[in-house]
Amino acid sequence: MTIHTPVGNDFDSLAAECAAAFDRWVPGGSEWDDDRLNEWARRAFALQFAENSTYRKYCETRRVRPGDVSGWRDVPPVPTAAFRAVDLIVGPSSGAKLTFLTSGTSRGSSRRGRHLVRSPDLYRASLRASFRAFVLEGEDAANIVTLPPSFTYDPTLSLGWMLDDVRAGFASELGGSVATADGVDWTALDAVVADAVRLDLPLCLLGTTLGFAEWLERLTDGRSITSPLPSRSRLMDTGGVKAREGLERAAVLTGLCGQLGLRLEAIVNEFGMTELLSQRYGHGDPGVPLLGPPWLRSWVLDPVTLEELPDGQTGILCHYDLANLGSVCSVLTEDRGRIVGEGIEWIGRTEGAPPRGCSLATAELLEAQEHV
Amino acid sequence: MFEAWHLPGLPTPTEWLEGRTHAGSAFRAPSLSGTEAGIVAAHVREGALEARAHRATTDVIQAIGAAAARLTAEGSAGIATRELLHAELGWDDRLIRDTLDGMARTWTTDALAGLVDSELGGPAVLDGFVRDEGWEGPGVRRRRAVGAPVVLQVLAGNVPGVAITATIRALLARSGVLCKLPEAEPGLLPMFARLLAEEDPLLGRSVAATWWPGSHFPAAWGEWTKWAGKVVVYGGAAAVEAVRGALPAHTDLISYGPRTGVAVLLPDTPQEEAAAALARDVCAYDQQGCVSPRLVYVVGLATGAFVSRLAGALEERTRDHPPPDPTPEEAVAIRSARAMFEFGGYKDGGLGVEAPGESLAWTILVSESPAARTESLPRVVWVHRVPELETLEEVLRPLEGRIQTFGFSGSEGLRRLAALATRLGVGRIAPLGSVAWPPPDWRHEGRHQLLPLLNWTDFEAPK
Repeated sequence: MTIHTPVGNDFDSLAAECAAAFDRWVPGGSEWDDDRLNEWARRAFALQFAENSTYRKYCETRRVRPGDVSGWRDVPPVPTAAFRAVDLIVGPSSGAKLTFLTSGTSRGSSRRGRHLVRSPDLYRASLRASFRAFVLEGEDAANIVTLPPSFTYDPTLSLGWMLDDVRAGFASELGGSVATADGVDWTALDAVVADAVRLDLPLCLLGTTLGFAEWLERLTDGRSITSPLPSRSRLMDTGGVKAREGLERAAVLTGLCGQLGLRLEAIVNEFGMTELLSQRYGHGDPGVPLLGPPWLRSWVLDPVTLEELPDGQTGILCHYDLANLGSVCSVLTEDRGRIVGEGIEWIGRTEGAPPRGCSLATAELLEAQEHV
Repeated sequence: MFEAWHLPGLPTPTEWLEGRTHAGSAFRAPSLSGTEAGIVAAHVREGALEARAHRATTDVIQAIGAAAARLTAEGSAGIATRELLHAELGWDDRLIRDTLDGMARTWTTDALAGLVDSELGGPAVLDGFVRDEGWEGPGVRRRRAVGAPVVLQVLAGNVPGVAITATIRALLARSGVLCKLPEAEPGLLPMFARLLAEEDPLLGRSVAATWWPGSHFPAAWGEWTKWAGKVVVYGGAAAVEAVRGALPAHTDLISYGPRTGVAVLLPDTPQEEAAAALARDVCAYDQQGCVSPRLVYVVGLATGAFVSRLAGALEERTRDHPPPDPTPEEAVAIRSARAMFEFGGYKDGGLGVEAPGESLAWTILVSESPAARTESLPRVVWVHRVPELETLEEVLRPLEGRIQTFGFSGSEGLRRLAALATRLGVGRIAPLGSVAWPPPDWRHEGRHQLLPLLNWTDFEAPK
């Protein structure tokens, strides 16, 4: 059967409309109520059903067609594992302008997931609108300093693209990237901090939690200069401390606040994933709730039955992100979390099931041999 | 809360450790000091040595068989057993009955006598010196086999009955047994030990079992290792290495590690029959046993027809024997595996998924090309097509020494399959439908069950 894209609902037109709507977004405004998002969701699903052939097969298997979708909650979510198996893109894969890879390996597959981005402009529009609202609190410029990663050195990381883009998009008189191919250029970071202090210009420092942990070590042992940052400085960390033993995000942030004279409220935690092009942000520590733009919705499912759980109960997070127009908007994650107020709390990844009997999971054995 | 301990000789406990099974059932065991652990170990050793002096091996077999029969029969003990397993594992009554029936077949007096006959030519050699009729040297030679006075066992997993089987083997070797129980199923062995004590108090004194959390080694462990002549450990490589590192030098360690089960459908397989038999094997122990098939290879034929039949058989089996809910981690992992195969199939064919919709009751992951990758997930099978048996050797080579059983259906190429099993270190080849229930005297992991526990004394003398 041939599926036709409705007139005026082709990818470029719809992406441009979405991007413009993202740009216009004013936090607290009424433009993004449920009815409006549902209308976007119907159009986005019609487009993805028509032009993302892999997703269409997935939906047809579940007997969901555009006529069955009345809003974003009806859109069939794709498990994140699918990003490891196939390219999910509206139109041909050759239409991808950016290709981002998920980190690490999991679940018996050494293959990293790929998210093909067809419209960097749409990604940018969502990213900048949210960053302006949640990190810059409505300001249009800041003295942004970005730690690694950088798209310059690793074009597979969406975080690197994101950091570079907001630095470019909100640039002010001071700032820049202190990322190198090997990590942080500490001399450059010390220099920009010294300039900021001298000129009394607030800095906006962006990087991974682990990068900031390394900076804290240097500040603590005197290898980097400790100096209270100018007032209204802020810091955005992302990624958490993962499996770094003995390290806690709270300790890193408290330590940095002490060293840099920052209030804990000046710390913003960013939550993002390669499979989503919109992000959430939480202030202070523990950074809950993580808030996002109105075109990013999240809900929580029972991991066994996939029934939606009431607010506050812990389950598996599912996200609807209109900025994913070029791939699939609805994504079922492997993350545990819960709804808190207007946002979410991300609790952690659901790690692989530990074997309960004497049955051998051969995946680990085979992977161990493949890596010898 | 149920009691997960049997500690003969221990004064009334005052401090407790509490745990919870995967299904959420709470249990407790005494928090043993080193001194208390020593008292228990001495009691067990004494019990075992007294039993050697006052009980023939046939008496031991009788007592074990009687206790095991009560554990699994319809009487009050049997009801208590099934209630315990339901609470511990969340299993449905049919699954529990099937599992217990399968296990109990290996615990009868006839089965145990058969095991002793099979490995030792009869029980006499465990009770005294027996003349070696094959001796060609001067005079006569007599031989006697005896286990260490105390065997220490570290048990793992939640397949009900494995801990009992391990303990029975040590008792047949005429040893006393100290057991660290698995968190996933800590209740059944203490229940068996209490019944054994009722059948024969002396033998009941020869078994001690308790639990402590995690994989650390408390004071009780340190004390028990001093008493143990042999240590038997069930678990993965990390667990075995941890135990090895926590033992006095030169302690004899016997380990049983995780294995996987493989099913091979030879070209002349009667597919309907094979699907039903395989479904039965897959659902046994909710597929957590090392004998449960996970990898299925269809030799020389496309998988489609067989997969449809297997789906039907698994659905039917699930209707009669519904599985417990998977854990959240298992649920996520099953969906992830399904997504990989479903989306992989959309991409270029050759991969597919059969499942009852979004229900996680069972899953068949299908590939038209051979591979050997699996995960430890309940009621999930990987079905692959292999063009010929010879391909299978290459595919399974990385699992050499890690395959417990080859289940088979059909006869075309069966001898070549047997030869392949030998080359890959597979311990057993059996028809589908009986894979999950090995006979009492099978070679577990390719080894004898009793011989590794025994020391021999040769007595050469003039006539």
